[in-house]
Amino acid sequence: MLETININKNIRLNYIPLKKLKTTVLSVYIHRSLNENDASMNALLPYVLKRSSKLCPDMESFSKYLEKLYGASLGCSVFKRGDDQIIYFDAETISDRYTPGNEPLLAKLTELILSILFEPSSDCFDAEIVAQEKNNAVNRINALVNDKRSYASIRCQEEMCSGETFAISKLGTIKGIQSVTPETLYDYYKSIITSSVIDFYVCGDADINSAADKIHEYTDKLAFTDASVTKTEILVKSNDVKRVTDRMDVTQGKLAIGFRTNITPDSKDYPALTVFNSVFGAGAHSKLFNNVREKLSLAYYASSQLERYKGLLIVNAGIEFKNFQQAYDESLAQLEEIRNGNISDLEFESSIKSIVNSYKSTYDDQRSLAIFSLGESIIGTNETIEDKIEKINKVTINQVAEIAKKLELDTVYFLDRKEEA
Amino acid sequence: MELKIKKSDITGETVYYGTHSSGLGIYIIPKKDYSQNYAIFGTRYGSVDSKFVVPGETAPTEVPDGIAHYLEHKMFDQPDGSNVFDKFSRYGANANAFTSFNMTAYLFNATANIEENLSTLLDYVQSPYYTPETVQKEQGIIGQEINMYDDNGSWKVFFNFLGCLYNNHPVKKEIAGTIESISHITDDYLYKCYNTFYNLSNMAIVVVGDVNPDRILNVIENGIKKNEPFTEEIQKLYPDEPAKVANHYAEQKLSVAMPLFMMGFKDTDVGYGGKKLLKKNIEMNILLQMLFGKSSHFYRSLYEQGLITPSYAVDYTMQPDYGFTSIEGESNNPKQVYDMMLAEIDKVNKIGLDKDDFVRIKKVIWGRYIRTMNNVEDYGTMYIQLLFMGIDYLDYYDVYNEINFEDITKRFEQHFIRDNAALSVVWPIE
Repeated sequence: MLETININKNIRLNYIPLKKLKTTVLSVYIHRSLNENDASMNALLPYVLKRSSKLCPDMESFSKYLEKLYGASLGCSVFKRGDDQIIYFDAETISDRYTPGNEPLLAKLTELILSILFEPSSDCFDAEIVAQEKNNAVNRINALVNDKRSYASIRCQEEMCSGETFAISKLGTIKGIQSVTPETLYDYYKSIITSSVIDFYVCGDADINSAADKIHEYTDKLAFTDASVTKTEILVKSNDVKRVTDRMDVTQGKLAIGFRTNITPDSKDYPALTVFNSVFGAGAHSKLFNNVREKLSLAYYASSQLERYKGLLIVNAGIEFKNFQQAYDESLAQLEEIRNGNISDLEFESSIKSIVNSYKSTYDDQRSLAIFSLGESIIGTNETIEDKIEKINKVTINQVAEIAKKLELDTVYFLDRKEEA
Repeated sequence: MELKIKKSDITGETVYYGTHSSGLGIYIIPKKDYSQNYAIFGTRYGSVDSKFVVPGETAPTEVPDGIAHYLEHKMFDQPDGSNVFDKFSRYGANANAFTSFNMTAYLFNATANIEENLSTLLDYVQSPYYTPETVQKEQGIIGQEINMYDDNGSWKVFFNFLGCLYNNHPVKKEIAGTIESISHITDDYLYKCYNTFYNLSNMAIVVVGDVNPDRILNVIENGIKKNEPFTEEIQKLYPDEPAKVANHYAEQKLSVAMPLFMMGFKDTDVGYGGKKLLKKNIEMNILLQMLFGKSSHFYRSLYEQGLITPSYAVDYTMQPDYGFTSIEGESNNPKQVYDMMLAEIDKVNKIGLDKDDFVRIKKVIWGRYIRTMNNVEDYGTMYIQLLFMGIDYLDYYDVYNEINFEDITKRFEQHFIRDNAALSVVWPIE
């Protein structure tokens, strides 16, 4: 159901028809290699570009343009998939047929996104805009601390991978952001826009050939140089277990336990790892939920999550400070249970069904479909959702126990309160 | 029973609906070609309902704060000792529940076994089982949930804001209660609340997905355990709430990166539901976008002066008996943002609203309405919430269409009043 048109050697247009929904989503992913020099520029650039297009050169014209399209949205951000740092634009509109006069909303939205990407309003970025967006970019870094649950998980991953590329934040660094000038950012923009792999995804109800024509219109005049998508390195480490404690003024402690899975996302073992994660801590059927939360009443949440591209697994729990050791011991005891093959049929079946359910749910969400397809393309597997489901259904209990044995404890992170108990 | 059918040609949506003899409201919304099915089974009972008169009794009953939420947690324990999650997991469903100010709801989404999952949902919500031991066990888990919220800046800024707006109304209290209040909850209290608010005549079920309405109706009818609807209303007792706000300002310190703010206006035109409430809701949303939305002069000048960050949202919260508008965001100078908000109101009072803005923003609201029908979970949840306010969502188009510029002007004059404004700030710890 995915249709891909190669606009040129760097730019691909991917179309996923999905007419049962009432909207159409258009997203753009610019792939950059994660590194310390460029991370801050990549984190800042989309926000500046959004405010600098020839079509809508100021905030008022930009907002009004979208409002006239029945409140279409156009946002941007930056994220990473392993060592691939991705500049991301996301636009969404209700489909043309839900307007009184069948207005060409998608065509107009496409023009705006293309103007943002390829047609800055002048030969350098506006100094005030850059200054404002630098402030916002610094604030975004500082704001990571606001959500303690995800903060603990990010800190744990950072500590696990210190010295590796993956430890570099998708948001860059405060110092890096501060050193950017309108000139350096503009030069950087000029250098990357023609030297990056750029994926367009349209999911919904669209005339894909006219979208392709539009992209050609904006890009045919540019000279593109060769580009590729960065592959992520998975290091097998056998250091001592690292223990890190941060202290803050908080009411609840956050435990994050980091493991290395030592399994790459294209490995034949990956489906079994997915099932393992589900049995261990992904959902109300999981061992962490039923033991750390339900049996011992230690936490409101206790779960595990996979970082697919870098081969990490993080256990998260929000607990009383004094229960740190007990929650930690119980989490590792549950891992040991799986290693010993103590997985009930119910736990196993529930895990398989839960994963299949979430794969199938993707069919009802345009952004999830695009992100799924993007992930497959980054990893190079290019499988369909049905391929994934088939592989999940073939996993056995024994394979899950074997996967559990490969897991290596790497880092134990605890967000603790300030004063000693 | 037979279901009635209502259809909208403009959106292509159809609802099959009816009321069972038990009093249960049944609403089925088919979504062709969808993978996910969603069901939500809710009661008109939330955190604000701690004082009430049980039908057939004369004396009021008062229960500890946080009990509606506590009860929600304890519904997952079953008489045979099993856990409900296990049953859903077996059929591949994601089950959950939530308690808000005015409702408690139990739900699942699943891409397979819709009928089995629906039976499970109906069964467990109609099977209360509380013992002193199981009630005791939950203190630790909910205690951690309360602690988690205590560290959450955006949660705190919200409740401190409500504390400003309301003098007595229980909407200002935390949904989960406090560690102290929940320590008084017993199995007897839970049964008393259950037997009052979980009578099917106080409940409704909404199913959204690629389903056959007749088969779904059949599963629901077979799953109904008790056919004893109340003949009287449950009287919910709320203290008198004066029109004026309790305070114009509240603050707290927490470990956040930047000051968080919430500011807005208490709605004093309250006391009704239905189409009239829906109309007010659309008017408020249009006004909020005109005054404080992304294209407004207010937003742009704040943004360009660096007084706010992209983390910014405006909202109108409505219920028949209370309501408020709010602007939420981050700022190094929340008090200046508040003063600018009040100045903006003064300015509009002098020069009036802009008609072009109205025409443009009315389109935005239409786009928003269309989007709400995309996701089965969001759609089903919103549908039942509106239902409990006496609103039929398929009436939206008619109500939306009749709103004109004069309505908006009147609403502005009625709602955006200095005396009804308040500001809540969460400051970072130095």
